[in-house]
Amino acid sequence: MKQSHHRERLLLLTSLSVFLLFLLTGCWSSQDIDKMGMGIGLALDVGNKSNVEKKLEKQGKSPPHVDTITMTYQFINPKATSKESSSAGPQQKAYLNASQTGESILPIIREFSLSHDAPLFSPHLKIIVISEALLRTHRLESLLDLFLRDNEIRPSCLVLVCNGNARHVLETKKPGELPALKLLGIVDNRSRTAKILPPVSLAKLTAKLNSESSFLLQNVAASDKEVKFEGAAVINGKTKKWAGFLNEMDLEGITWITGKGKGGLVRSLDKETGQLIIYEIETMESKITPHVDGNKISFDVHINSKGRLSENWVLNANPFENEFLKRVEKAAELEVRQLVKSVTAKMQKNLHADVAGFGERLRIEYPKTWEKVKKDWDQTFSTVPITYFVKLTMTDFGASGPSK
Amino acid sequence: MESIAPFTDDYLSNLNLIRQEIGQNADVHIREFSFGQTAIRASIIFVDGLSDRDLIDNTILKTLMNDSVAVMVQENSSGDVSGSKEFFINHVLSIHEILECRDVYDLRTKVLTGFTALLIEGAANALLLNTVKVKTRNIDEPVSESLVRGPRVGFTETLSENTALLRRHGENGDLLFLKFQVGERAKKELIIAYMKEIANPALVEEVKNRITKIKIDHVPESGYVEQFIEDNYLSPFPQVQSTERPDRVISALLEGRVAILLDGTPFALIVPVTFSMLLQSPEDYYERWIPSTFIRLLRFFTAFASLLIPALYISFISFHQGLIPTELAISIIGTRQGVPFPALLEALIMEVSIEIMREAGLRLPKPIGPAIGIVGGLIIGQAAVQAGIVSPIMVIVVAVTAISSFAIPSYNLGISLRLIRFLVMFSAAMFGLYGVILFFLLLTSHLVKLKSFGVPYVTPAVPYRLSDWKDFMVRMPLMMMKRRPKMLHTKEPTRKG
Repeated sequence: MKQSHHRERLLLLTSLSVFLLFLLTGCWSSQDIDKMGMGIGLALDVGNKSNVEKKLEKQGKSPPHVDTITMTYQFINPKATSKESSSAGPQQKAYLNASQTGESILPIIREFSLSHDAPLFSPHLKIIVISEALLRTHRLESLLDLFLRDNEIRPSCLVLVCNGNARHVLETKKPGELPALKLLGIVDNRSRTAKILPPVSLAKLTAKLNSESSFLLQNVAASDKEVKFEGAAVINGKTKKWAGFLNEMDLEGITWITGKGKGGLVRSLDKETGQLIIYEIETMESKITPHVDGNKISFDVHINSKGRLSENWVLNANPFENEFLKRVEKAAELEVRQLVKSVTAKMQKNLHADVAGFGERLRIEYPKTWEKVKKDWDQTFSTVPITYFVKLTMTDFGASGPSK
Repeated sequence: MESIAPFTDDYLSNLNLIRQEIGQNADVHIREFSFGQTAIRASIIFVDGLSDRDLIDNTILKTLMNDSVAVMVQENSSGDVSGSKEFFINHVLSIHEILECRDVYDLRTKVLTGFTALLIEGAANALLLNTVKVKTRNIDEPVSESLVRGPRVGFTETLSENTALLRRHGENGDLLFLKFQVGERAKKELIIAYMKEIANPALVEEVKNRITKIKIDHVPESGYVEQFIEDNYLSPFPQVQSTERPDRVISALLEGRVAILLDGTPFALIVPVTFSMLLQSPEDYYERWIPSTFIRLLRFFTAFASLLIPALYISFISFHQGLIPTELAISIIGTRQGVPFPALLEALIMEVSIEIMREAGLRLPKPIGPAIGIVGGLIIGQAAVQAGIVSPIMVIVVAVTAISSFAIPSYNLGISLRLIRFLVMFSAAMFGLYGVILFFLLLTSHLVKLKSFGVPYVTPAVPYRLSDWKDFMVRMPLMMMKRRPKMLHTKEPTRKG
């Protein structure tokens, strides 16, 4: 009896002390969400110290940092998002942008810890914007190395290029708006326009960086705290640096060649009257067929699209007549052919870069040939003949008949 | 034990004995009289309130004090009254139950339960006449288990009424009631009910065994029985189902389970019980199978929700902020601005206050009850948020958790899940999602090990029995449930018809 009592007490003591061990760890690595600086956007620019930074450096008497990169982090402004504060006083910005200058990415991020109370927290980072100027001197690979390596940053984070100051992209005039999320929303508009590239996330970028071929990144322009998606930046496959710019029209051409558009318009002029006709894309597909004949490589591109007559300025036109519809189709086809031709010329003559995925098709269908040419593909591509076959079909002309 | 004091032939000494034993009780009445006009003295002893006064006045006293009876008695017994006992029992007293008793202790216990003792001059034994008058209340709809569709009948506090309610389920000779007595000092009647042809004899034997092992002064409620017969008294989960509904008991009996009814309580016990039973309602079977299945799945969800939601909130807020969708994370950051407490403390404050509110609402008299709603809703909900003590999201979390726990049909399971919820919250605060999962694993391993009268608690999930899944999380059409649950090892595996 006494012994069992003793054993019971021992058991109780043991279990109690084991339980206390758990308490000893406390709330290990627990950190409340509101005590963190949640970064949602990031911009990389050529090093340019802000006035505050310069003054602080002077006061601190520390040796001057190497300052080749300026990073701008966009944080959530918790005060603005909370309900109570928005009702009283002037509306605050929903975000806080903080810039820091340094030599490479992580040292700059750590520098934030010297001036911000909330630890930087990046799983919600949505957008990385890199300025064109920085990409001219720095390899994209090196700039993004930390983000690809670190597991706190999601591989779904998108990468954009800005042809001006990247930090201006992360600004907005509208109170309550988060620029980083706004950019993310614009990417989703691909069903409305063919002038937006398929989004390039860090995950996709890894593959592109590892292949030797050139690729495109969506370009975004910023002015007066407004942003607009404009064209695309060409990244050279070898140097991984900025190699050129494609404007909106070129981008549309690329979209037609790749067939990856989800929507958009074709503006064309009626042959007879010279009036505007707008063709709205419903579906779009393209097939790039490589042909190899000895050393000669050529490509056929078949582009098919279905769409509707959305806007018609032609007088006395009768959309009920097939003849008129055929005329419209022809006009639109001509327009598309011009788009793809012009971008092809640009790719082959000016940029010497295949950014429309021709090499990829060749690799899949003629792997042996690809092995031979892949080393110098961008150069080879510049001389390859490409034939386009464009077929647009008008399936719908809306609710209006002949205009009288 | 007191020494036995048997009655003697002497009427007066017997009467004195009784007087000494129970006469000082205020509610014990001793009425002395004579048979008709004869000199044979007699007295009746009864307890006011327990015995039926009408019956005593109009049947017992009227008959005995009648001349004709006295004459008959004298003729019949030819002077020897002691021999006339048979005559009294057989010809005079129109009472359905008459016992003889030889000593005063026997008499005492019986009289104090409502019997009337009849002591006749010249007779050594007293007669005990069953004049027990049971005050019953009306049969009401069960308070704790109301249904939209189903009989509006609940058990009452009277055992005989309750067994009658069970008998009334249909003509069924199978239904067997075994009578037991529990309580060492204050004995109470207890009945084990089962279907003779269906229930597994080993199970019935086990129930009898555990009932006879109950050693306690007094059993005021079936909750006492439950705590004595349950398999694991350290487990937070109820291992016996208690119900107020006769229809629920009958369907359990027809499945091969055993029911235990105790006098003085409307709560019957059903054993063995499985976890899924506690999430079921008789209505599942009364409604069509598609809505019933949906509602059952919903209840499983509410069980998980009431257990895990605050813990998940804590772990997402303090450990895995990256797992929250960005827009939600932004609004949570906003709403938590100025909240001075870590997520655990915030959750504890709210959870504890809602538990207090629930408890207070339960005890309050009905007219004041709604006040709790106002105080709770306004003060705790609105004011706490405005004062910046908790965030509005936390209020939502607590509210969802609370209504989830109220959606669990079994009250006692709801309580246990609420209790365990606090433990999960602590382990979430210590280790985040990892802690929640760890705790859940521990809990599951306990559940898997737990048994109720030999039946594993989480059957048919573990041990896996596909045929019993027809009546587990889903409720298949009745036509498809031809067989009784296999887990019960019934004598008759198939249902008739």
